[in-house]
Amino acid sequence: MTTFAQNLSGQDARSNNPSSGALPSIEYDLIRAHVFASLATLVISVLFGILVATKFSFPEFLGGHGWLTWGRLRYNHTQGIFFGWLGNAFLAFFYYVVPRLANRPVLSRKLGWFLFVVWNFAVVLPGWVLVCAGFSQPLEWAEFPLIVDFFVVLAFVLMVFEFVLPFLKARLSDLYVSGWYIIGGIIFTMLAYPVGNLVPELVPGARGAAFSGLWIHDAVGLFVTPFAVAIAYYVIPATTRRPIFSHFLSMVGFWLLFFTYPLNGTHHYVYSAIPMSAQKGAIVASAYLGMAVILVVTNQLLSLRGSSGLASRDVPLRFIWFGVISYLVVSLQGSVQALMPVNRFIHFTDWVIGHSHLAMIGFASFIALGGIAHMWQRIPGTRYNERAMNWSFWLIAIGLTLMVTDLTIAGLVEAQAWQSSAPWIDSVRSIGSYWLVRTLSGLPILAGFILFWTSLITGPRSETITSATRPVAAEDVAAFEGVSPALAKLSLSAWPGYAHVVAFGAGVGFFALSFLVLAIIPGKELEDEIKQAAPVTMATLTASEQRGRVIYGREGCAYCHTEQVRSLAADVRRFGAPTEPWETKYDYPQLWGTRRIGPDLSREFNLHSRDWQLTHLYNPRLVARDSVMPPYPWLFSGNANQPTQEGLDVLAYLESLGRARQLSGFDRQTLTASVMPETMDMAMASEPSARATPPSVPIAMTGGYSRSSPVLHPASDPGDLQEEVSRGEALFVANCISCHGSAGRGDGQASASLLPKPANLTAARFSDERLSSVLWNGVAGSAMPRWRQLPTEDLRALVAYVDSLHSAETVTTAPDDKTPPVDDGKSLFAANCASCHGDAGGGNGPEAAALAPAPTNFHLKMPTQERAWGVLENGVPGTAMPPWRNQLSADQRHALVEFVRSLYNPPQENVGQ
Amino acid sequence: MINLIVIVISAIMLALLLAWWRWPTFRVWIEAPKYSMLRQECRFDDQDTER
Repeated sequence: MTTFAQNLSGQDARSNNPSSGALPSIEYDLIRAHVFASLATLVISVLFGILVATKFSFPEFLGGHGWLTWGRLRYNHTQGIFFGWLGNAFLAFFYYVVPRLANRPVLSRKLGWFLFVVWNFAVVLPGWVLVCAGFSQPLEWAEFPLIVDFFVVLAFVLMVFEFVLPFLKARLSDLYVSGWYIIGGIIFTMLAYPVGNLVPELVPGARGAAFSGLWIHDAVGLFVTPFAVAIAYYVIPATTRRPIFSHFLSMVGFWLLFFTYPLNGTHHYVYSAIPMSAQKGAIVASAYLGMAVILVVTNQLLSLRGSSGLASRDVPLRFIWFGVISYLVVSLQGSVQALMPVNRFIHFTDWVIGHSHLAMIGFASFIALGGIAHMWQRIPGTRYNERAMNWSFWLIAIGLTLMVTDLTIAGLVEAQAWQSSAPWIDSVRSIGSYWLVRTLSGLPILAGFILFWTSLITGPRSETITSATRPVAAEDVAAFEGVSPALAKLSLSAWPGYAHVVAFGAGVGFFALSFLVLAIIPGKELEDEIKQAAPVTMATLTASEQRGRVIYGREGCAYCHTEQVRSLAADVRRFGAPTEPWETKYDYPQLWGTRRIGPDLSREFNLHSRDWQLTHLYNPRLVARDSVMPPYPWLFSGNANQPTQEGLDVLAYLESLGRARQLSGFDRQTLTASVMPETMDMAMASEPSARATPPSVPIAMTGGYSRSSPVLHPASDPGDLQEEVSRGEALFVANCISCHGSAGRGDGQASASLLPKPANLTAARFSDERLSSVLWNGVAGSAMPRWRQLPTEDLRALVAYVDSLHSAETVTTAPDDKTPPVDDGKSLFAANCASCHGDAGGGNGPEAAALAPAPTNFHLKMPTQERAWGVLENGVPGTAMPPWRNQLSADQRHALVEFVRSLYNPPQENVGQ
Repeated sequence: MINLIVIVISAIMLALLLAWWRWPTFRVWIEAPKYSMLRQECRFDDQDTER
């Protein structure tokens, strides 16, 4: 065989990287160890992912214990992929490729085994266990607790010694692009990791989010991407036996990637309270990144020129090819997602989840798998089973394509629902089937990974390396011979030998630059703004609220609920005024979140009753039938009425969200504005001055009591009315039966833990005005929420349906058939009831203003005799209404029943509107 | 911020293009690693074949 090495044996003087003499040793045992660790953790991490996905369709699945709750499994899914799978795969590749590129062995075998132990037994394994046990950090890509972070940083320091030092010692004059990526990636990640993991614990709220954004993108851009690109750049020429298309282009791509990736971070917080200059800078950097990736991918695909047949036959190369194509798609997708017109629509949706799966599986995992398979053919004594490997490729590719397509469409469906005024739960319902498909699509992916592992251990033991028999093309040999004299001359110069020093400096320099422009400068701006805007009396969280915050973080609540209202009309209309930086000044670490499955919680203060919150925590489906939120029974002692201290702490924290904003009076002026959000362009409203300007903040659909609620009269035409009642029934079943029960008797599942009990809608006749007001404003002091986000037609249909519920009146518990004079009731009412219910029974007595729920307005509600009698007998638990059976005789109570019923006098019923 | 990013990236790219256009030796030097990497790979393959 004619080899390139033999052809070029006379050219060694050009470089201080001798091609003669003994080759450096390669730590094959460490490669095997890391490969098996990577595949074991991959399978476990994917299982975590499938469990997480399953819980969207079956929220009660494995939901009874904290160790297996959605949030903790979600943490372990992503951290397992990041550290366990990709970390080990990259380490295996480093052991294979660094001696080849540096022509020196890695620093130390013992150090290597120590690194293996640290990575797997001080980072991955304890990280998983601690997260399951409830010790974690609620920050994206930084979920392992701080104690684990210490070992991660230690591991990166060890990597510098193990893998970077050989390059420095070699002082190569011609460092191949993979070496540049490896050095840059290790150095940069070592520096960036503490910034993303530790700084948000020390710098609160919006300022901390600026640092978090840095790490969110660095994790992918400076750990995953450089190492995956390094593998692709190595495997392609090593398999095709042809040099890459252009090393110059590869270096341009390297510099562009390392410059622009760190600057992308803040595009995760577009329209947020972070200064707009930083947001726009990140968006511009994202556009540059797209161009950089086009360059890199073009160079890699051109490197495959003339090898299309080989790419189809050689499975490792096919894995790499798929990864390179995915890299192009996902990067361009990322650049487009960062653009404001797109970001305002798809951010927080499943579209982004599809994007991240395409990045982590389609790009990084495919290339890592290709790298492992390529190495496996070249490690003494190991060969893969080609048939199994081939099946593995197709299973993963098909599963991933299905998953990404499904999640992308799901994201668009969600986004459409969020732009409308439909209740939040409608967006959850609308993508239920997509979540099921996503779960199912994970199964072929898992099968493919298992098959890949199988292929490594079932391959023939002594087969020769097929690709090694492929000679280097004569034209490439000639090309090198042509440039050799110039290279020999160049080798006399000292400066090319410091290429690795430039790479080292680049890592540090770009890190410092991204740190400066994305975190320090915006942080200073935010600090100044907070000093100016924060109310002097802004209270910190109580001890209980602070404990609740920690529990909220450990259970992964921030992965489904954001705590940032963006400066977008759709956000403001649904959740309230945009989040101001000062509101987050005590948030250590920030819990802004990057995903919305449930609604934003920043304005939760006074939005729901305590009973509702506790019942919802105990089992969300008791109050929201179609919710996919996990239950948290371990925060209770057996039922929703018995929260543990931890349950009360979470409740306290939830009730504190938005409190400072509401109590500060910050919005007093702005909430009076009546600008229609649909007509607003709030694209630039996150500039501090714009955020604080009044009519930029319209009244939110979730806002406070409004006297101007519309009165919705059902149709007067019998045919239309019947249609409305049917529509109302469907809406009632979808939204109301959890509390009011299927027949509207107030005996739904949630009623056991709600006080006051949900209204028995069959036990009174309600005026249209009363029903409209309740639907529009909710009932203060009860679990009844506002439903004003529903379309007017739906609200009217609900009024029609509830109207139809009130049953024929019967008297079953009155003492006798004698009808007492109403005048008796009137005097009794004036003496005993008017202080709350008002002289005329309008629910507006002197005491009424202090009562929640408010006393009944009998002009708008006529209880059945049975209901009125029952209330006088027993009072209404959970309200100020006491029992009167010991104070009033049966005749007197009977007189009162008749009197209050006689007060019913609604204005203009059934006249249509 | 945006200006800074655009200026720095443009400057780096221009510097690289200028070096590539102005100095042929630079072109040789910057393309050389793709050959040396392949040569090194061949040496390892040879060693494996002999093993």
